Amino acid sequence: MFVMLLGLLLTGMPLAFVTLLVALIFALGWFGPMAVPLITSRIFSFVNSFVFVSVPMFVLMASILDRSGIAKDLFDAMRVVGGRLRGGVAIQTLLVAVVLAAMSGIIGGEVVLLGLLALPQMLRLGYDRRLAIGVCCAGGALGTMIPPSIVLIIYGLTASVSIGDLFTASFLPGLMLASFYIAYVLIRAYLNPDIAPIPEPDEIPTKEKLRLLKGLILPILVVFMVLGSIYGGIASVTEASAMGVLGVALSAVIRGEFNWELLKGASLQTLSTVGMIVWIGIGATALVGVFNLMGGINFVSGLIIGVSDNPTVIVLVMMLILFVLGMFLDWVGIALLTMPIFVPIIRELGLDPVWFGVVFAMNMQVSFLSPPFGPAAFYLKSVAPEGISLGEIFRSLLPFIAMQVLALAILIAFPGVTGRW
Amino acid sequence: QEYSFRFQSSDPAGNANFILQKSWAEDVRERTGGKVAIELLPVNTIVAHTETQDAVAAGIIDGHFTDTSYFAGKEPAFGLIANPVGAWSDPQQMFDFMENGGGKELMNSLVEPYGLHFIGATTPGLEAFVSKVPLDGVDDLKGIKMRAPEGMVQRVFAAAGAVPVNLPGSEVFTSLDKGVIDAADYTVFSTNHEQGMHDIAKHPVYPGFHSMPLVEVSMNKTTWESLPADIQATLEQSVSDFARRQVSTLAERDAVAVAAAAADGVTVHDWSAEERARFRAIAKGEWEAAAGASDASARVYSTLTKYLSDNGLLE
Amino acid sequence: MASDSHDFTNERAGPTSAPPEAGTLGKIIDRLGIVFAIAILSSAAILNVEVVLRYAFNSATIWAHETVIFLTASSFVFGGLYVAARNAHIRVVLIYDLLNIKMRRLFDVVISVICSFSCAFFAWASWQSVSRAVWTPEGHIRIETTGSAWDPPTAGLIKIFLFIVLILLCVQFAVLAFNYFRKRDG
Ligand code: NA
Ligand code: NA
Repeated sequence: MFVMLLGLLLTGMPLAFVTLLVALIFALGWFGPMAVPLITSRIFSFVNSFVFVSVPMFVLMASILDRSGIAKDLFDAMRVVGGRLRGGVAIQTLLVAVVLAAMSGIIGGEVVLLGLLALPQMLRLGYDRRLAIGVCCAGGALGTMIPPSIVLIIYGLTASVSIGDLFTASFLPGLMLASFYIAYVLIRAYLNPDIAPIPEPDEIPTKEKLRLLKGLILPILVVFMVLGSIYGGIASVTEASAMGVLGVALSAVIRGEFNWELLKGASLQTLSTVGMIVWIGIGATALVGVFNLMGGINFVSGLIIGVSDNPTVIVLVMMLILFVLGMFLDWVGIALLTMPIFVPIIRELGLDPVWFGVVFAMNMQVSFLSPPFGPAAFYLKSVAPEGISLGEIFRSLLPFIAMQVLALAILIAFPGVTGRW
Repeated sequence: QEYSFRFQSSDPAGNANFILQKSWAEDVRERTGGKVAIELLPVNTIVAHTETQDAVAAGIIDGHFTDTSYFAGKEPAFGLIANPVGAWSDPQQMFDFMENGGGKELMNSLVEPYGLHFIGATTPGLEAFVSKVPLDGVDDLKGIKMRAPEGMVQRVFAAAGAVPVNLPGSEVFTSLDKGVIDAADYTVFSTNHEQGMHDIAKHPVYPGFHSMPLVEVSMNKTTWESLPADIQATLEQSVSDFARRQVSTLAERDAVAVAAAAADGVTVHDWSAEERARFRAIAKGEWEAAAGASDASARVYSTLTKYLSDNGLLE
Repeated sequence: MASDSHDFTNERAGPTSAPPEAGTLGKIIDRLGIVFAIAILSSAAILNVEVVLRYAFNSATIWAHETVIFLTASSFVFGGLYVAARNAHIRVVLIYDLLNIKMRRLFDVVISVICSFSCAFFAWASWQSVSRAVWTPEGHIRIETTGSAWDPPTAGLIKIFLFIVLILLCVQFAVLAFNYFRKRDG
């Protein structure tokens, strides 16, 4: 199944239809035509859910920001704030990513938002392409590592552990991962100044600087509005994303840039972007259903049962299984396949299921970036400037995957990072 | 082994209900001397929980273990029979209705046209009510923003003066935590406690007063009819025994969790008999309204009210 | 380097309208996009209304969330067709880029034919669930509702819409395949 997936991917067939086709072939081959409705049933359930409503909201927010001058002014201001710090704009993009992660529990919308706003701006400022790409994908993926997080919620429901505990425990590891990214940007930028140009001294006069800094005001107000409504108990996470749309639309009104053309362009772009990324999700959900019907859970349990008595070895084997599945499936499928088997084992070994939830979330960070099925890369591709290929995106992500693995290793070696020991 | 079936549950893998349901599958294997092997799959593994009825009918899976109200969108009667809010004050009453009060025949008359056969009913018991604010009676519900997912429950709470908010299960925790909602109809006390609901909402109402879902165990009708009578009888008996085992196990777990919660500074509220009766009176008005939704709903209403009044449960 | 680097801001992936290979159908789908774009805008507006009504007036609606799910689900489903008509679905072009023009055409034709065939299968499969969502076992028409207090027939409507979109996808891919094929000959 995985081989066929890989083979078809390389033909240049649209990705969403590759996974759908593989699902179809296996459904027909294993069970016959009567199993095919399971695919369309999963498509229906996938699109018909409230959780994904925030994806178009984030994308809409991004395209309004982009089409008005807000995004450009924001990044010009960030360049001033970044000052003489090498890699300043990339680091601020990562900080923006952390703020976005606190606003949303999913990743699709955030990767698109950073890809639409930060990526072209970093390229405009002369940043190294690969560094800029990596920052956008890895930064956007932080959405499920920093609470609120749909990955942790689903884990909590599946494993029957406290979602509040999971959120608390994932906070530090999430920030740790973000700080690895920042440290990486700094090290790369100071070793090789060409990859992250900074403004020459005197390039921008003070008066101009003050004018540029005004670009920060409206975006910060929108962030306050969204975060305030979530943490102030005014709106649910999904509703808050719609408030963000209202916020950026009002910002465009204030700037005198708001008109029907802008709204039309932004919403049409949103339609096409969600069309791409939702159908990739549709393909993935179809594949998981068929794989499960073929006995996927038994397959996974066959890999782990009796492999060793040593807890460390067992946990490492689990990580290996999660890595490999992460290359081919999306996280919902992986959770469905592995958690019914892994969580009881973790409990039997006397390990903390909350800690393991954070480990799982960190693993899913890797799965978002790892080829060939790396959702964050696909989301970025859906809005990336012409000339940035998927191959280049995946190559750019390798160092970030390495940092995720490092963070995961620390999380396993020192469970205390979760604050639970 | 002669028969191998796949059943999908509406509960996730780590949930106490699911773990118990797996013990049912094991029990069936033992009782049939290994002739019937049932693989129990957690929620969403093959299809979403709202889609299992179609999947069973199509033969994609062989059976399901699910809250009947998920199919209220297909036939309103499923909503009424699955959760006649306030009708049952004890699981045994519902089991008796199912086995001796015409409930089983009624259920089969409802599901068979859809291509399923109803084997038996179970329930996790009276659901607990999660709340951030103290609730000691119907009057306290006034203006409370609460999450209630299903039709009937939602309407009854609206009639009682609460403000029902539509939220998916995955948003309940954060919304309750941040105060978007004050209360939620969620699941049984012990599971709520495990998931940390009481860390953020310290005034649960227990035992619940509002809802005791009917969880049906059904399978594909054609497959059922192809089974020999002895295996059919064994399956029916095993579900009936399972239902009682599930209720007593969960009640024990709830008792432990209630003690643990009280020790953690959670205030468990227990409504007086008068307040429960007031709530039931509001609910009954809604049954009648629901009975008018379809012919099948009217049948559910008349069978149910006949049983309740015959047994002195309807004053 | 910073100042004179290539301006990426105005370039976006994918064509900005349906390519000629998509045919008349592609053009119509492209035009219809605005309906679903407005559906997304309406979802944002409705969610804001819901928050205001609930927070400021303590009167949460029973219709807002289900309406939003319906609007976004429709635009998700249509979005796939919209992107297919613009031939903008994400693909891995590692090998494709190495091929000569003739081979690329061949690949385009074969891929489109396969996509068309799969969509035909899915449309057939989706008909099974449509038939259960539109007719009761007694044969009366009753569109499947959500089962909530509001109980709108949106669940059934989305199933019907998915069925229609799958048929259109099948036809759209067939049109693409035909036009790629014709181009190779001509
Ligand atoms: Na988050
Ligand atoms: Na991956």
